[in-house]
Amino acid sequence: MNRRELLQAALVGAGASFLAGCGPGLRSLVGSKSLGVAELPPHPEPLARTLNRVAFGFNLRVAEEVRSVGRERWIARQLDANEDEDPWLALQLQRLDVFNLAPAELRDLPEGEVVIQLQQAAVLRSVYGRNQLLERMVEFWSDHFNIYARKRFAAWRKPLDEVSVIRKHALGKFPDLLFQSAKSPAMLEYLDNDANLKGKPNENYARELMELHTLGVNGGYTQQDVQEVARCFTGWTIENRFGRQRGTFRFDPSQHDFEEKTVLGHRIPAGGGVEDGERVLQILATHPNTARFIAGKIVDRFLGDAHDEWRDRLGELYLQTGGDIKAMLRPLLLSQTLLDAPPIPKRPFDFVVSSLRALSATTDGRGVLRYLVDMGQPSYEWPMPDGYPTASEAWTGSLLGRWNFALDLLRGEVPGTTVPALEGIKPIEATLGRRAGSDSLSALLLRQDLRREEALALCLCSPEFQWR
Amino acid sequence: MVSRRSLIAGAFGLAAGSALSQISLRERRDPDAPVLVVLFLRGGCDGLNTVVPHGEDEYHRLRPSLALRRRDVLDLDGFFGFHPALGSLIPHYREGRLAVVHAVGSQDRTRSHFEAMSAMERGVAAASEHASSGWVARYLNERASGPSPLRSIAFSNVLPDSMRGGTSGIALESLKQYRLRGEDAQARRFRRSLAALYASGEDVLTQAGRATLEALDLVENLPAAPSASEPYPKSDLGRAFAQTAQLIHAGVGLEVACLEKGGWDTHVAQGATSGWHASLLEDLARSLSAFAADIADHLNRVTVVVMTEFGRRAYENAGLGTDHGRASVMLLLGEGVAGGTVHGDWPGLTPESLEEPGDLRVTTDYRAVLSEVLRRRMALERVEAVLPGFGGQGIGAVA
Repeated sequence: MNRRELLQAALVGAGASFLAGCGPGLRSLVGSKSLGVAELPPHPEPLARTLNRVAFGFNLRVAEEVRSVGRERWIARQLDANEDEDPWLALQLQRLDVFNLAPAELRDLPEGEVVIQLQQAAVLRSVYGRNQLLERMVEFWSDHFNIYARKRFAAWRKPLDEVSVIRKHALGKFPDLLFQSAKSPAMLEYLDNDANLKGKPNENYARELMELHTLGVNGGYTQQDVQEVARCFTGWTIENRFGRQRGTFRFDPSQHDFEEKTVLGHRIPAGGGVEDGERVLQILATHPNTARFIAGKIVDRFLGDAHDEWRDRLGELYLQTGGDIKAMLRPLLLSQTLLDAPPIPKRPFDFVVSSLRALSATTDGRGVLRYLVDMGQPSYEWPMPDGYPTASEAWTGSLLGRWNFALDLLRGEVPGTTVPALEGIKPIEATLGRRAGSDSLSALLLRQDLRREEALALCLCSPEFQWR
Repeated sequence: MVSRRSLIAGAFGLAAGSALSQISLRERRDPDAPVLVVLFLRGGCDGLNTVVPHGEDEYHRLRPSLALRRRDVLDLDGFFGFHPALGSLIPHYREGRLAVVHAVGSQDRTRSHFEAMSAMERGVAAASEHASSGWVARYLNERASGPSPLRSIAFSNVLPDSMRGGTSGIALESLKQYRLRGEDAQARRFRRSLAALYASGEDVLTQAGRATLEALDLVENLPAAPSASEPYPKSDLGRAFAQTAQLIHAGVGLEVACLEKGGWDTHVAQGATSGWHASLLEDLARSLSAFAADIADHLNRVTVVVMTEFGRRAYENAGLGTDHGRASVMLLLGEGVAGGTVHGDWPGLTPESLEEPGDLRVTTDYRAVLSEVLRRRMALERVEAVLPGFGGQGIGAVA
């Protein structure tokens, strides 16, 4: 059944189950009048929508900032990503060993602690970071260049990857991001490229590089290309020789296949060393299918749907600007399409971070982590290279975890986390960023003599707070 | 936008919510209803070192380090043998409860985990085919029986693709954790408020909210499980099977349980009689065996299907592991299966028989096996509604 047939079936009243099973392409139609679907969340105002998409959710203080500066100017500033960091945040991050110890010293920390600190930092930055768009793109690229921190030594290698690959280039140029990722010891370890040897190449990284990082699975490469690319990357490994500074990238010519190769129709002459792999990266970074694939992913992340027109437009921008991520984001973020786009379901990380922001909570970022485990999205713990799924259907099991988090949060039972009194603020306004919620939520808050904590918990648990 | 009237009606859906939860477990129970347990081995399980073609010389030649020696395997029929770690499955095989299918897989040639898994979970030939929903969800839609919110459970944090497109799928890590905070009057009031909030709305998340509330009710009232005669391994898989058994014993209307075990992507240092692959197999075998013993009284209506997205390259690589391949094995457990046999059409491992660049050829489509199980064990009439585009026959792996 193609998508058109699925839609016909839905209209003929095959029932909600088909709608529930729709692939991403049909999500945009779920809210349309013609389908007569009951009660999606009320359409958000531009301010709330902007903070939900460009940032990690509505927050009273940031909303004030956006109002006074003007939405478009605020978005432009977020694209520059130049805001001074929140001093309190900087202090919290300074206390974490993972970003303050040299890799050799970091090795003394147990793996569990390293992963927890990485996760803590992700929460803290997403909640409190002033450069919110940067944090959104860090999340995006962390999914795109997924690294599973529990594989072998990946945990101890990930902090360097986070800082010098992901964070450094999240709003930079995609080719730079790609090149740094390819040489990142964390990535070399994760996709076995450090065990890619002359004579018997390991295809893992070669395949995922093309399938997931650049061209996309339909990007026109063959099994033969995978094997040739693997040959190009032979000898790429992690320094571990006696007396050298270990844990950095190293090209080992003794393990490199110097023979001629052909990749995607390009002849790579014999005799090339590390340049073989670099040439592959260059071919991939400038390939039109990469432009298209990356554009498509960005569009899907920000509009919640495939959108051919925007994908083509951003793909063009990619090719014109050499993969400049800001240049691609700018028109999209300022567009009316972003404001009018249908709601995107929040993944658990989104839900937790937006809850903490909505309540202006103070957290050490650590106590919330076990809730993310319950909901199924602890950062850096997705084993497969494709990153945590974005489709809403994947997260339907996380609702109980969300409700329990909201309840514990408002009862002060989330470790290391407190919520201020928020006197004089209406619960719906504080959490959803608008005056009124859905009728069922508003009715509930009116009908009973609720304590403030309960009212706020209900807002966080409400269907509408699960969307952005 | 929707009318104010329908929105307000939603707020009073409270009444409808509580009426539903008043249907007791007793009324939902159907002691003869078939149950399907699907175990997905994620990462690409090496079928050649699981059900070993020890009678084929090529096998030993292609895997100088990784091949299992004839003396180490548990021989099944003179040609195939189980990896020694599967010892606990031998009685089930000999007594006809366990069937093996070899050289089975999809038509997806990408050798990509996501594509191959996506194909199998959506029940299509290859990932390029269109189907937004999963085959388990389509099966449940076809059956349309049993209103239990615990019709289909995934023991996992994330709902698997095979359950996408259904309205009843719930992902649980553990039954014990499946509770809403608080026991007091305030907690009960909160629960009623949630029911009101999620009463109307047909989008995926709102439906999930309703399903969650109903499931909470049912799980909180589950009878304690009878003690298992054979202990489950203390692993995630062991626990998942133990809880599946608990739900089966309790008769809460479970129709499909989806389990998974990852870690099968043995690119490097796979090990042979012992090591990485072997320890995965041991967990698998002991979990399956414990489950079979636990629900022995129900094995006439329960069927377990073990599958993986692809097998692995016939020859080992320099890292003493194996790369992504094509065909692998499937296991079927239950009293309705044609056990004690290795089904399928063995293509051989000679250079001419292998699929480029050196993979075991797929000679049985995995959907042939699923279609048999669904038709003969799961009372499915319209197989084409669940496995669209598959017009083939079964292979006799189900009696």
